[in-house]
Amino acid sequence: MSGPLRMRVFLVVLLVGAAAYMLRDTISYYTMDETQKQTLIESGEMDDIRKNIIHKGLDLQGGMHVVLEVDLEELIKTRVEDGDAEIDALISNSLEEAQNNETEFFPTFAKNVEATNIRLARYFPIYEKGPNSDVLDALEADAKDAVDRAEEIIRNRVDQFGVSEPTIQRKGAWRIVVELAGITNQAQARELIQATALLEFVLVQEDPQLLDEVIRNIDKAWAADMGEETPEDSTEVVADTSVDESAPSLADILSGEEGDSLSITGTGDVGRPFSSLINVGSNTIWVPEENVRSVKRKLTKPTIAAAVSSDSKLAWGVSPRDITGDGRMHRALYLMKGTAELTGDVVTDARESLGGFSGAEFVVHLSMNDEGSREWTKITAGNVGKRIAIVMDGNVHMAGVIRDKIADGRTQIEGMNDLQDAKKLAVVLRAGALPAPMLIEEERTIGASLGADSVAAGTQATVFGFILVVIFMAIYYKGAGLIADVALILNLGFTLAVLSTLNATLTLPGIAGLILTVGMAVDANVLIFERIREELRNAKTVKKSIDDGFNRALTTIVDANLTTILAAGVLWQFGSGTVKGFATTLFWGILCSMVTAIFITRTIFMVMTERKTMTKLSI
Amino acid sequence: MFELIKNVNIDFLGKRKLASMISGAVILAGLVSIVLHGGPLYSIDFEGGTEIQVLFTESTDVEAVRSALSDIGYGDAAIRSFGNEDEFLIHVKTSTKSEEQVNTIREALASIHGGSYEIRRLETVGPKIGKELKGDMISAVLIAMAGIVIYISIRFQFMYAIGALVALTHDVLITLGLFSLLNMEISLSVLAAFLFIVGYSLNDTIVVFDRVRENAKEKRHDSFMSVLNISLNQTLNRTVITSLTTLTVVLILLVFGGEVIKPFAFALTIGLIVGTYSSIFVASPVVLAWDENQKKKKNT
Repeated sequence: MSGPLRMRVFLVVLLVGAAAYMLRDTISYYTMDETQKQTLIESGEMDDIRKNIIHKGLDLQGGMHVVLEVDLEELIKTRVEDGDAEIDALISNSLEEAQNNETEFFPTFAKNVEATNIRLARYFPIYEKGPNSDVLDALEADAKDAVDRAEEIIRNRVDQFGVSEPTIQRKGAWRIVVELAGITNQAQARELIQATALLEFVLVQEDPQLLDEVIRNIDKAWAADMGEETPEDSTEVVADTSVDESAPSLADILSGEEGDSLSITGTGDVGRPFSSLINVGSNTIWVPEENVRSVKRKLTKPTIAAAVSSDSKLAWGVSPRDITGDGRMHRALYLMKGTAELTGDVVTDARESLGGFSGAEFVVHLSMNDEGSREWTKITAGNVGKRIAIVMDGNVHMAGVIRDKIADGRTQIEGMNDLQDAKKLAVVLRAGALPAPMLIEEERTIGASLGADSVAAGTQATVFGFILVVIFMAIYYKGAGLIADVALILNLGFTLAVLSTLNATLTLPGIAGLILTVGMAVDANVLIFERIREELRNAKTVKKSIDDGFNRALTTIVDANLTTILAAGVLWQFGSGTVKGFATTLFWGILCSMVTAIFITRTIFMVMTERKTMTKLSI
Repeated sequence: MFELIKNVNIDFLGKRKLASMISGAVILAGLVSIVLHGGPLYSIDFEGGTEIQVLFTESTDVEAVRSALSDIGYGDAAIRSFGNEDEFLIHVKTSTKSEEQVNTIREALASIHGGSYEIRRLETVGPKIGKELKGDMISAVLIAMAGIVIYISIRFQFMYAIGALVALTHDVLITLGLFSLLNMEISLSVLAAFLFIVGYSLNDTIVVFDRVRENAKEKRHDSFMSVLNISLNQTLNRTVITSLTTLTVVLILLVFGGEVIKPFAFALTIGLIVGTYSSIFVASPVVLAWDENQKKKKNT
């Protein structure tokens, strides 16, 4: 074999190997069963795998795609005080005008206000007094803040749904796109996006003995629960511990359970399934990130939840922290008082800023109304040195120590790492106080059953189409057709490999794109083969015909395919949702087909004609 | 050698008058239909509205669904059976906030068999987003076409770009017209199919033009018309084979791809056939006409 040819063959092998490697996670992910998946999820390995696979789009696995937009009408009208027909009409007309002309609301509103001699400050006393332009700016900032709040509320809640990889994205200034894959309960999901949040200030239980007692009680209830578990359940629990090396005792207990069930219900010295999964420090339970899922699931069981006495409750912190300093992340689980001291409706404002002892720390300034301030004074005075948690919809966003009695309702919250953290906490605090009216502007919900039907139909169509094209090529071009078939199979493999590496999402139109690619991928080979046939007819030698056929077809293939790629690119840029999936598969499919048809088939031909001089070509 | 078409020498350009009459008639019929319908029939993607695909677990007929929806004031809802028996597609226009609309429809559906139904698909689009999507997609089609003209002008000559552009417009107009004649909706995915048609039709056209370019160099003494004809004949085998393989997979998609993808697959099927036809009977005749026109100008 000549040097350059050896290089070509080496490259082909390299390409095929790389594609196989890129496909490994996708193949293993879609061939493993549920228990294997669960094991990987709980060990945290799933996150790495899911970075390298083709995802099923919402239309294939079922799910919900929602576009929310801030309800400006609702928002502005609730801000108006002492309204009259004039301001109402001005707002309604501007909304309508903006919608009809597809323009932004605020410039339209400003223009319409200009045309009248209304003084906006009269209707919006909640903002600082000033000329109309100032009030308009304040109103717009207020509306933008509502979108921030709604986004924070949704992020805070979405965790509770156990949806894998929810996406929450901002789209422009006024919209939020929420995608929940594989949800089964639509009503529940709708509730999620209805944006009113419950914000509470709850005291943390600082008594170490009480915390100890609760942990012991949970241990007991948990151990008892395991005794009643179905075998299927208990395998999952074993999986938990196999990951967490620091907690081998759970597996021991399980194996001991069969022999000596008495010890489980005993004093708790042996049966410590809960405490073996956690750390305790500064009166807080710290759960290593990898155990969070299993602990969460257990704690929601009624028998185990009952282990916490009714005047207390457990609540999770939202952000993981590296408390041990060794890179292992932990989530806080706070034992708090059963009832809130104060709810968020007393908050009038919360803003991030610089402050603190040095004046350079990131802080949040919180202000409350008169009623709230009075309560706050009492609470803070009676609990100096204790922690009070800021809880939104059951999740603890911050648990700060009360340093001193706060008399005027103006509180400075310290301890944020950066401005981003401070900003987020301020949004959370405002979210509990101010409504963030959002409207569903677009919703696409696909039931899981329809998704499964689509996968089945799409797979069937792809396989059928593929087989028919393969057979056709083999009959029409005989030996050369078989080479084209090899290229076709490789093309499909390469395309899927690229999609896996890009972590792309396959939608139903995406499958259609794949099918089309199969139909069109042969085009390059057809162009080459027809050209080779022509050269053969002109009585050229086999080798010369092949060379000329490839060379002359090359420009045509590039020119022709580039235009389809161009169309796919434009579609990708402008298309949304499922249509984008079509553009993606088409784009990569055609690109890969050029590599397989031009480079790989040519290499196969070269290897064939290398040794012996062929006098006849099967084409 | 197994060949579909052997040693052909068809005078494609001689039939250009007949072809233009056929194309003209089909386009006209489509345009008349579009005008009579008051514009293309857009799906909820562009028009706004709610579409619900619902499957009842008990035997149900269209009338039962219709009367339940009439009771809540959606007497004008379009209801048709969809795929399976007892499965329906309900289409209502957006009137109020979509959230309230969806909730009332759910309640009405629950009243039919005491709630023994499954919502397989629910899509609701506000009029605002619909308008934006329409704008986005129209600019996508226009940008793709402009990009193509620029690309061909650079790689070939301007007159080829005109030929390709006329062929593309022809394909999209015919497909649009057929959708209107058959009362089928233009949805997001159908528009995506249109863009694919634009790409595919062009692919076909360029293969021919590429050959014309090559032959024009080699056969300087032949008339431009015969160069075009020779090129069309030389590429005919490839045109037919590629169209056949692609058409095969698209037809399979149409038959086996399921109800959801049907309009998309249908648009692809029509577009493929029309695209293949136009690369032979529209693009090259336009290039010829342009060329003759230029020559006439030079002579006068």
